[in-house]
Amino acid sequence: MQIEIDRYWPFAVLCAAILLVVLRLLLRERIALQGSISFVSVLVMFLLAALLPDLTARLAHAMGFKVLSNFLFCLAIIALALLHLRALVTLSRLETRTVHLTQDLALLEEKLDRAKKTR
Amino acid sequence: MAATLPCSSEVVVVDDGSTDATVQVAAERGVRVVCLCRNLGIGGAVQTGLRLAYREGFDCAVQVDGDGQHPPSEIHRLVARLSQPDLPDIVVGSRRLEQRGYQSTPARRLGQNWLRLWLRAVCGLRVTDPTSGFRLYGARALALFQRVYPYDFPEPESLAVARARGLRLVDQPVEMRPRQGGRSSIAGLQPLYYMIKVTLAVALAYARNRGRKVAVSLDGLRPSLAAVGRAGGGSADRD
Repeated sequence: MQIEIDRYWPFAVLCAAILLVVLRLLLRERIALQGSISFVSVLVMFLLAALLPDLTARLAHAMGFKVLSNFLFCLAIIALALLHLRALVTLSRLETRTVHLTQDLALLEEKLDRAKKTR
Repeated sequence: MAATLPCSSEVVVVDDGSTDATVQVAAERGVRVVCLCRNLGIGGAVQTGLRLAYREGFDCAVQVDGDGQHPPSEIHRLVARLSQPDLPDIVVGSRRLEQRGYQSTPARRLGQNWLRLWLRAVCGLRVTDPTSGFRLYGARALALFQRVYPYDFPEPESLAVARARGLRLVDQPVEMRPRQGGRSSIAGLQPLYYMIKVTLAVALAYARNRGRKVAVSLDGLRPSLAAVGRAGGGSADRD
């Protein structure tokens, strides 16, 4: 059965819009570049997939998808899950760091207080 | 509390955002007070005390919870156990060995029994009171826990970490009291979450830490002891 190739330009517009938002955030330094490169590359990949439906359809067909939108949905879910996992890893590392910093600060303060008292 | 402690020792109160007069009372008694500027919860607070003990070269530290459950007069029993020939790294004060003093509520005992069996099944560890927060940490335990210490519901998980890293853990019978003030952090629907989380955490902690050894130099230790009390969100500190 031939895969139905519809028009996916609304999807491409959506991707481009999100891409613009990300670029804006990057320019205003609201997000750091090193963390958002993966996000941007995922968006670019989707943009290309939407702009080149023939290529996407061939790829989807090769992977056993009957409907192109299913393929795109599936890709989007996987990409979002991976991006979210990455964010979770970063968050956990930050949490540990914050705890250790708070502890070090408290220990330093106590040391300082005692030094003041003995002087 | 300081009066009941053996050998040269210092009392440190970790204030984890308490709202009562803990800090004033402690300062008036002349004990050291470490104030955390943000509330870290039990694990972060206990680790603060252990970090202090490690950095200042204490050769052991005793954790005493801030709710008055752990009578300071029992500390000498933990310390005495430390110097016995099998040289333990962690001495866990156990309510269950002698069955004297406060024994906790039936529901909590059920949970403790499950965790005891779980620790034994997963890590091959035999402790009778895995949720006890009345513990003594030797130098190797301090070196480990000042870096790695679980943050919420840390007691059973920290035992799994220590066991996986090859530390020696022993039980010591102690007598505890009912909580003297404040509320438990485990209330309402929390017990279920607590059991599931701790059960998973113990297995994960053991798997994660297995085969890793503690690298620690035991030179330059002070033959002394830091007793670490914790005063958490609103619980009264009566030491």
